[in-house]
Amino acid sequence: MLAFLVRRLLQGALVVLIATTAAFLLLHLAPGDPIAATLDGPSVPESVRAHWRAEYGLDRPVLVQYGRWVAAAARGDLGWSLSMRRPVRDVLADALPNTLLLVGTALLAGFAAGIGAGVLQAALRVRGGAGRTADRAIGAVTVFFFSLPEFWLAITLLVLFTFVLPLLPSSGAVDPVAHDYMSPVERLADRAVHLVLPALTLALGALAVVARHQRAALLEVAREDFLRTARAKGVGERGVLLRHALRNALIPIITLLGLAVPALVGGVVFVEKVFGWPGMGLVAVNAVSSRDYPLVTGAVVVGSVAVTVGALLSEALHALADPRLRDVDDATPAARPGA
Amino acid sequence: MRAISIPTGPGGGERRLTARRRVALVVVALLLTTALGACRGSDRRHAATGETGGTVVIATGAEPSTLMPPLATSTEEAAIVAQIFDHLAEIGDSLNTVGDVGFKPRLARKWTWARDSLSIAFELDPQAKWHDGQPVRAADVKFTFDAYVDPATGSPTAPLLANIDSVSAQDSLTAVFWYKRRTPQQFFDAAYQLLILPAHLLRATPHARLAASPFARKPVGTGRFRFDDWTPGQRVSIVADEDNYRGRANLDRVVWTVSPDFGAATISLINGQADFFEAMSPAYLGQLARNRSLRVVPYQGLDYAFLQFNLRAADGSARPHPVFSDRETRRALSMALDRTRIVQNVYDSLAYVANGPFVRAMFPDWRKLRPIQDNPTRARQLLDSLGWKDTNGDGVRERGGVKLAFSLIVPTSSSVRQRMAVLIQEQFRTSGVEVTIEPLELNAFLDRQKRRTFDAAMGGWHMDPNLASIQQMWGSYGAQPNGSNFGSYESATFDAQVDSALTALDPARSRTLWLHAYQTIVDDAPAIWLFEPRLVAGVHRRIHLAPLRADAWWANLADWSIPLRDRIGRDRIGLR
Repeated sequence: MLAFLVRRLLQGALVVLIATTAAFLLLHLAPGDPIAATLDGPSVPESVRAHWRAEYGLDRPVLVQYGRWVAAAARGDLGWSLSMRRPVRDVLADALPNTLLLVGTALLAGFAAGIGAGVLQAALRVRGGAGRTADRAIGAVTVFFFSLPEFWLAITLLVLFTFVLPLLPSSGAVDPVAHDYMSPVERLADRAVHLVLPALTLALGALAVVARHQRAALLEVAREDFLRTARAKGVGERGVLLRHALRNALIPIITLLGLAVPALVGGVVFVEKVFGWPGMGLVAVNAVSSRDYPLVTGAVVVGSVAVTVGALLSEALHALADPRLRDVDDATPAARPGA
Repeated sequence: MRAISIPTGPGGGERRLTARRRVALVVVALLLTTALGACRGSDRRHAATGETGGTVVIATGAEPSTLMPPLATSTEEAAIVAQIFDHLAEIGDSLNTVGDVGFKPRLARKWTWARDSLSIAFELDPQAKWHDGQPVRAADVKFTFDAYVDPATGSPTAPLLANIDSVSAQDSLTAVFWYKRRTPQQFFDAAYQLLILPAHLLRATPHARLAASPFARKPVGTGRFRFDDWTPGQRVSIVADEDNYRGRANLDRVVWTVSPDFGAATISLINGQADFFEAMSPAYLGQLARNRSLRVVPYQGLDYAFLQFNLRAADGSARPHPVFSDRETRRALSMALDRTRIVQNVYDSLAYVANGPFVRAMFPDWRKLRPIQDNPTRARQLLDSLGWKDTNGDGVRERGGVKLAFSLIVPTSSSVRQRMAVLIQEQFRTSGVEVTIEPLELNAFLDRQKRRTFDAAMGGWHMDPNLASIQQMWGSYGAQPNGSNFGSYESATFDAQVDSALTALDPARSRTLWLHAYQTIVDDAPAIWLFEPRLVAGVHRRIHLAPLRADAWWANLADWSIPLRDRIGRDRIGLR
């Protein structure tokens, strides 16, 4: 187990390094530079721009800049944000909790609803008759949400619930005036109200994927002998489904959890931009627009670490959920059941 | 500034919105109620109950990066620091920069010119105090000037102070500015360009570290508002300074909320989260008209846009452009467009046709100019006479093997310029001119301009009262590498006329010289002058605005007010 963890961590570190290097170099290849973007007025002489380029080391060759960044990052210093004029670490520290809240809520809601929908679909399918029709109808809805691009869904929800029906706030994480004066419960509610639309956008996509996989996994398990045994013992259909079948059908969903993290990290960029949610995605988009090299690179580091950790977590949870995998050495695939 | 009321449809605007939002909040609160119960938070004392009071939420499309005045460059930064800090004197509404005509006392309650005009003594208001209670002293003014001009600070304002030799403290309340030579704008340079900093709080900070200092995110000034809070990515708030030497601001508080872009900022205004947005896009004005809580307020801006010709080859070399290096061809192309129709199509009545590299607010004699009249028929005749003819029947004129064709780069960040480019392309097509539109991401657009690797560009400038910036935008000085004269227009005549206008001490003579300079560049047609947008602010009806100044709509923010009878929920939320 330890060897497995160490191997995965080293692979993860390599992924982070490759992603960060690619982001750093690609951004430098893009036209424009951060100083021109912020100091482009006609009355600003080149000497002032040159001063700031030298101050930030932007007048050095790209590889020298990269080397200095890597050396600093190894010491925990992610550099200075050119657009925010603060340490990158501080910018990310402010943004990360907001993204974790959003992603966590979307994951929870999406997976809970997805599992529920998948269970319902499988139960209806097994029941037969009108149940099959209902199963197909729910399946059509999940396919619909699955096929919607996240940015389109975000904009549609924004227009619908803040413009056409002004029920919810259009941007931000809290009320900019009243939040500080609310009671703790009201503050919680205020955060929740601001969280609804961005989390719903992300959750709908996750829900669709999870529902389809859960349905398929349950239908496969439904054919197993141990369920017939349970029914023969007198366990009701609900108990058969929830206590016996679902536990076995959750294993692929756990794998999905790990895969959902990178998908959400990617999707969160659009969602945070549309809803003005002050998280990592919005920080990254603004950083790219303003060619803030250190901030973009720092955001990529955090994002790739999150993806790596998500994958690791998924594998660990998978091993925990399936006892057949716990005692199997990863180096001996031939010993795995079904291999 | 006159507010234009637009008829609206039925609807309960503010009240219905609040009720719906409250229902949503209550439902969620019930779902989340825990054993903690609903213990009360901080006391909600009512805010000021007199004529002063209220909270204004301003939507912005970008977050400020610093509140350190020498380094505050963006509109958002400038708007906020202007509330927290003071100039020595404030420019008048006419934006006159010659001498001290129209300037109003601020930190300096009066000033005295030396007989030779090579120095000006500013006498500070003895009542002026910093927000931490310390008195303002002449040493603060000296410190401020030294900080601004120190190269280590890296202030983009430093070059604008080049004519000021030094500042001395004659006594504790008198700061003397010493000039290298007399110029019409010497008073403007001292009064307008500097926001006075507290020496007692910043003396220990090296100028090179000002950008990174805690003060840059928690400033202390003398303005009628003091800094309150900055939540990164979300908001910046300021509150009224109760004991200010110029009197308390009418409002209790102003909050800038950060939106991801202008579209989101507009939506936050329309759905009630914000009270003011400075620049509504024409596309949203219909929505605004249907909202009973809001109204539009047009005001003069200082922007103008143009189609800039690159007079040098598009490969960035110094070779003349095969098409645009010819003055008469440029004039003919200028004539070929019906700019009135183009501007009306995109802006309706919310923009003027531009007449040159200026805005009307800063050049009252613009009617005396003789512009190149829009006349497509005459333009075609002129192109024929210049030898540009369609000899092969492909619809595009040629001359000496060179097609009358060019690419036009357009920033994708501006939907207005993109729409105009399409209209321009079509109008040129009817005159046998082929235009290929190249939409570019903003940074890529700026990069191509800077490198001069373009044929023509849909450009735009925001002017400021400092007229000398025209030398960078259109003078030979700016045609050098790294200058802002991206089209490389060079005219010794224009340069000399601008120099004369900038150094004329008599305002009437100055206006005459500017007229000559503008006429020269209009005749040379280095660009087709397209439009001057009239800015339209969206504002909540309960807010009574003070005049929105063209260069700084925020200049009179402390004089905005909200009558007691019109106040809504967020106006009544008490301050800590």
